[in-house]
Amino acid sequence: MTDDVEAAPSAPAAARHLAPGDVGLVAPRDYTHAEPFTFRGGQVLPGFSLRYETYGELNAARDNAIVVCHALSGDHHCAGWHSPADRKPGWWNNLIGPGKAVDTRRFFVVCANVLGGCQGSTGPSSLNPATGRPYGAAFPPVTIPDMVRAQRRLLDHLGVAAVHAVIGGSMGGMLALQFAIEYPRLVRRVLAMATTGRESAQAIAFNEVGRQAIMQDPAWNRGDYALGEGPRVGLAIARMMAHITYLSDASMDRKFGRRKRRAAEAEASAFDVQFEVEGYLRHQGQSFINRFDANTYLYITRALDQFDLEEAAGSLESAFAPVEAETLIVGFTSDWLFPPEQNRALALALLRAGKRASYAELATDLGHDSFLLESEELYALVRGFLDRPAAPAA
Amino acid sequence: MEKRTVDMQIIGDWVEPGTRVLDLGCGQGDLLAYLMQTKGVAAVGVDLDFSRIAACVRRGVSAYQGDMTTLMRAFPERHFDRVICSRTVQELAEPKAVILEALRVGRALTVGFVNHGFWKNRVAMLLGGRKVRNEVYTTAWFESRPANPVTIADFEDFCAALGIRVTHRAHLAGNWRDPCPFLPNLLAGYALYDLTRA
Repeated sequence: MTDDVEAAPSAPAAARHLAPGDVGLVAPRDYTHAEPFTFRGGQVLPGFSLRYETYGELNAARDNAIVVCHALSGDHHCAGWHSPADRKPGWWNNLIGPGKAVDTRRFFVVCANVLGGCQGSTGPSSLNPATGRPYGAAFPPVTIPDMVRAQRRLLDHLGVAAVHAVIGGSMGGMLALQFAIEYPRLVRRVLAMATTGRESAQAIAFNEVGRQAIMQDPAWNRGDYALGEGPRVGLAIARMMAHITYLSDASMDRKFGRRKRRAAEAEASAFDVQFEVEGYLRHQGQSFINRFDANTYLYITRALDQFDLEEAAGSLESAFAPVEAETLIVGFTSDWLFPPEQNRALALALLRAGKRASYAELATDLGHDSFLLESEELYALVRGFLDRPAAPAA
Repeated sequence: MEKRTVDMQIIGDWVEPGTRVLDLGCGQGDLLAYLMQTKGVAAVGVDLDFSRIAACVRRGVSAYQGDMTTLMRAFPERHFDRVICSRTVQELAEPKAVILEALRVGRALTVGFVNHGFWKNRVAMLLGGRKVRNEVYTTAWFESRPANPVTIADFEDFCAALGIRVTHRAHLAGNWRDPCPFLPNLLAGYALYDLTRA
């Protein structure tokens, strides 16, 4: 997911966190699981921690939790502001807040950085207690089910008895689906957007180019590098390429067209930035390396590639057989990373399995990142799905 | 009783409780919500329009946004106990293909349509010489969706020609309420058919 989805302008910077409808200032917390955790692949960590945020209050019945799952490069900070000086709020701030589509007056919203992540949760950049150095490539291969199982521990810790809904886009949608498969009694609703039951060859191919950019950078050193160092060039290139896949031809054309940087800047060399789109991508790459770990990028893209509901269960219908949740899948017409067909296939398989499932498709030209779109239509859909009291099973 | 709801009750009478129902062109899910409430069906709707799907989702009706034939092709034979095509059939680009596909995925198919053979429609065309406009078809030709003005006689011929078995018929008078057993192609305003493969 991109990290520059049109930040709402308006209000002076100092007061933006006080905007009505925003959750305001928020602070992350850490959950530490002190018992051994076994990954799908069989490897064991002595424990792990997850960094997370919550907004709203858990109700007396402890059944109003909404679990928000982030995408590849996202994190636990999905709404509100960490400080009045922040340039931007949490990544899904337009959707989550008091009175918004995910209404924090009514719901207890939980969002955790995934296991294997690098924003505070245990991952390859965490210190390996056995060596005193970051795990690096010694970190166990992490899967989407591992991420979900780790988050289940967090929900238990928070005292959540039933999950009103799990929601997410892209990889977050995979987690949401996996939640409903893994914990059918816990999850009442799933809202998965711009996602897939398994990546196409093209999506795997894009991830592989990103991984190669990282691994071919000598500073990667087979995953062994000190904190704050590592394959910065490779990670930036991986991000630049991936970023293109989150947008669309039309949205890039609208945003940049063939506009050029001023001649004085462009004269330095024929291959310095000439077009605005180049400057934009370089900026995206540079800002990414300051907040993301290259090994986590390798691990999580691999988790995305490995995710295959069909293979795991024989068919998509069989994969969904345990699901008890009511599901809403949303596809976006211009998403060429996880295109509408792959989203439709999820809804059709759920229906074939006899589940309560809906599919809606929004016409947008913003590409894969459309799920972050500021759209009243999308908000109304999400609100309608979440607000109704849980329907009795048909 | 409104014309909007009368066919719901007849269809409701034909639907077995607790069965699996697919509604082609489900709109905002009025019929399916009614069948869920009264018959406890497991309902699925299909429609092309985002806002109608959103309305279905809001009331707890499962709905799929997309082409109805594409949807049906994704299901095995007789997956549904009943497929319903209520006031949609006259707007289909390929009604025959849809009806045959519906009879594949459904054990039964319910079709409801306005009878364009109804005498008022004939008279309106004959005397007025213009596209029929009434309380059901309110719009002028240039702001209407393309429609096949199907009649009861047309539909009976179609079923006979394709060997489709008619298990129930309901012909309703011009008020869409009273039964119309006599000369339905001339005197009935609305028709409902329940079909199965022969």
